[in-house]
Amino acid sequence: MTRLHAETPEHSGIGGSRGAPSPSPMQGGRARRGVGLGGERWITLALFVLAIVLILGSRVISPAFGGWTQTKAILTLAVFVIVVGYGQGLVILVGGLDLSVASVMTVGGVLAFRLIGLDTEALIWSLPLILFTGALIGTANGIGVTMLKVPPFIMTLAAGIIVYGGCLGFTQGTPRGLASPALSALFTNEIAGVPLILLVMLVLVSLAALVQSSTPFGRMLYAVGASPDAAWIAGLPVRALTISTYAISGACACLAGVLMIGYASGASLTMGQDYLLPSIAAVVIGGSSILGGRGNYLGTVGGAILLTTLSTIIAALGIAQGWRTVIYGIVILVALVLLREQFYTWVDRSLRGRS
Amino acid sequence: MRIRQFFTGALVAGVIGLGSMAALLACSPQAEAQTKKFKIYLSLSYSGNSWQSEAANIVKALAATPPYDQTVELTEVISGTEVQAQISAYESMISNGADGIISFPVSPTGLNRTVKRGCDKGVLFFMYDATVTEPCAYNVSYITAGFGENTAQALVNALGGKGKIFLSRGVPGNSVDKRHTDGAMAIFKKYPGIQVVAEYYGMWDDQTTQSETAKALAAHPDVDGIWAQAGEDGALKALMATGHDKLVPMTGENSNGFRLALADPAMQKRGLKGVSSGSPPATAGYAFKLMMEILTKKRTLENHNVEYPLPWVPADKVDPCKGDLFENGCNVFPAGKVPDSFVTEVFEPKLLPELSLVTALEGKPTPGATIQALPAEVKAATDEPGINCQKCTPPKDLYHLSKVEATVAP
Repeated sequence: MTRLHAETPEHSGIGGSRGAPSPSPMQGGRARRGVGLGGERWITLALFVLAIVLILGSRVISPAFGGWTQTKAILTLAVFVIVVGYGQGLVILVGGLDLSVASVMTVGGVLAFRLIGLDTEALIWSLPLILFTGALIGTANGIGVTMLKVPPFIMTLAAGIIVYGGCLGFTQGTPRGLASPALSALFTNEIAGVPLILLVMLVLVSLAALVQSSTPFGRMLYAVGASPDAAWIAGLPVRALTISTYAISGACACLAGVLMIGYASGASLTMGQDYLLPSIAAVVIGGSSILGGRGNYLGTVGGAILLTTLSTIIAALGIAQGWRTVIYGIVILVALVLLREQFYTWVDRSLRGRS
Repeated sequence: MRIRQFFTGALVAGVIGLGSMAALLACSPQAEAQTKKFKIYLSLSYSGNSWQSEAANIVKALAATPPYDQTVELTEVISGTEVQAQISAYESMISNGADGIISFPVSPTGLNRTVKRGCDKGVLFFMYDATVTEPCAYNVSYITAGFGENTAQALVNALGGKGKIFLSRGVPGNSVDKRHTDGAMAIFKKYPGIQVVAEYYGMWDDQTTQSETAKALAAHPDVDGIWAQAGEDGALKALMATGHDKLVPMTGENSNGFRLALADPAMQKRGLKGVSSGSPPATAGYAFKLMMEILTKKRTLENHNVEYPLPWVPADKVDPCKGDLFENGCNVFPAGKVPDSFVTEVFEPKLLPELSLVTALEGKPTPGATIQALPAEVKAATDEPGINCQKCTPPKDLYHLSKVEATVAP
């Protein structure tokens, strides 16, 4: 549908192996060892191991590194990419791309700043409203992509610009409102040394990963991504499923904007800009195929944490900004080249061959 | 429109008879003087942070304040951060017959040719805050007033001449960021005890500054002080988010949140001290009024580089305002009235008595206000190559201190 049809036969040809719904790594680790499933499991594992090794190894750069304080800072900073990355990951899973997340995140932030303020009760009614707004923008994206057949990157880029313009008009440039103490508490309060937000994220990430890997909805998305034509023939509502991923992406971006208010206690019209490219990079580094049909959320989470770890360590290197950006770019490139499924399948096979 | 109607009328008159046409022409200068408005364009590079929109709102509000509401036709154009986009914006303003262009320029050199072309066609260029090196344009800015060196010295004083510090900078490659940092480093280099342990770009944005500062803090939790450009409120929030009870001396720009924190006794007890200085959005209003006085032939300005006074508010000078005006020397709004990221320096009682909070927030004129004449005297800015002139020599004491004295010996 949204992808080049020329690719479809190729995909459907091997759809049984690489397009099949993949179980979450938790399940996978126990018993299932189907062909092509090993790769993703390895990727997720490798990402987390790599992040931990980097954090421990960064002690070389600064003696303050390698501890819980640094890990806490990294995980907190990664929250926004993790949240945006879920929606982005689903959109990419069905072969699309959402470039509007930066602007939609700003919408979430601007609305939360204006609507919630000091009134904690307002959180209860305004949070669904804000998420619904994001979903609505996403739905428009999805309709443009499926019904009007606009290529996803054009559709979402245009929607992003329109939404940004709307924010500029709505706020007159200066988002007005107040920081919400309830949202700030998520980031400042800790239970047993763990910031509240990380505990909340643990629950949200588990639920989200389950939805993607273990519900009929998630499996249908894999089917659509692997081969839209085959999915259509099989009677799946391909359009509705595609639209739903864009809607979820919009809602996720808005949620990230709301959380940003908790972190930064303020909104600006540029608040989402830093999260567009990392959200895509995290998904792809996390082992998803940019062409769709493959990937899992825990991989994206690992990718987000790895990217944030890298940027934190690079920031501490004390070198000029230009070189810092060059290094960051090279590391992402190397990660993408190495962290490919083929590489892990190879590792998986050679390990199994040995045992 | 009216001019076009007039021309149509003139044509018809020409058909009717030469005599009546001559009569019409004779009275036309008078008719034009009554109906013609000054065509002023406001060219923004970028809108999205509080500073840019407050500056633009101030210009819009002044253009709507009597008598300018009758005599000025203001058009706002936001062209983005690319030089090329602003060049084409200028070009279309020039060809639309602009009388004056008031602008935040994205590049000190890249716009020069277009600006020169406009000047040759009689367009008046007024740049606020950022500058261009084309001599025919007017630059109105605080840049030459020494933000970098003065805040750096204030930080050194607060640290007793030694300690590990962060430099929270602005946008890489930007001439303003460079001027500030050069000024600051001129001071820091004098003190061997001062060690810059992290230097990062906060993009003059609270959110970016906060996450960049958080990263730097992860590596250097033992930092002793922070020198920040705009975005300082984010740096402060990152410092508070570490959960440590101890805060450190900080210098930064004019955000409401930072000023309130500086004056908060609880924060002071935790170790926060410093000074709030930096770029005032009110500069745009001053530039606009100067331009209008030239256009209305009330003033001639020999010197094209005008210095706007540098705001300087140490903790003990922070004074919350009771109402919507900067009255009785107050310089910050109570928490809850404006967002923390709001840039407080939107007023100047002597130069811009027409302004109130509504002008900065919404671009609406203050009810009942009329435009007041500016003081005759205008402070000339020092020459700084690459900032406000091309082939010029800066004064020897370029980074001399004007707001603070060194209290610790290097």
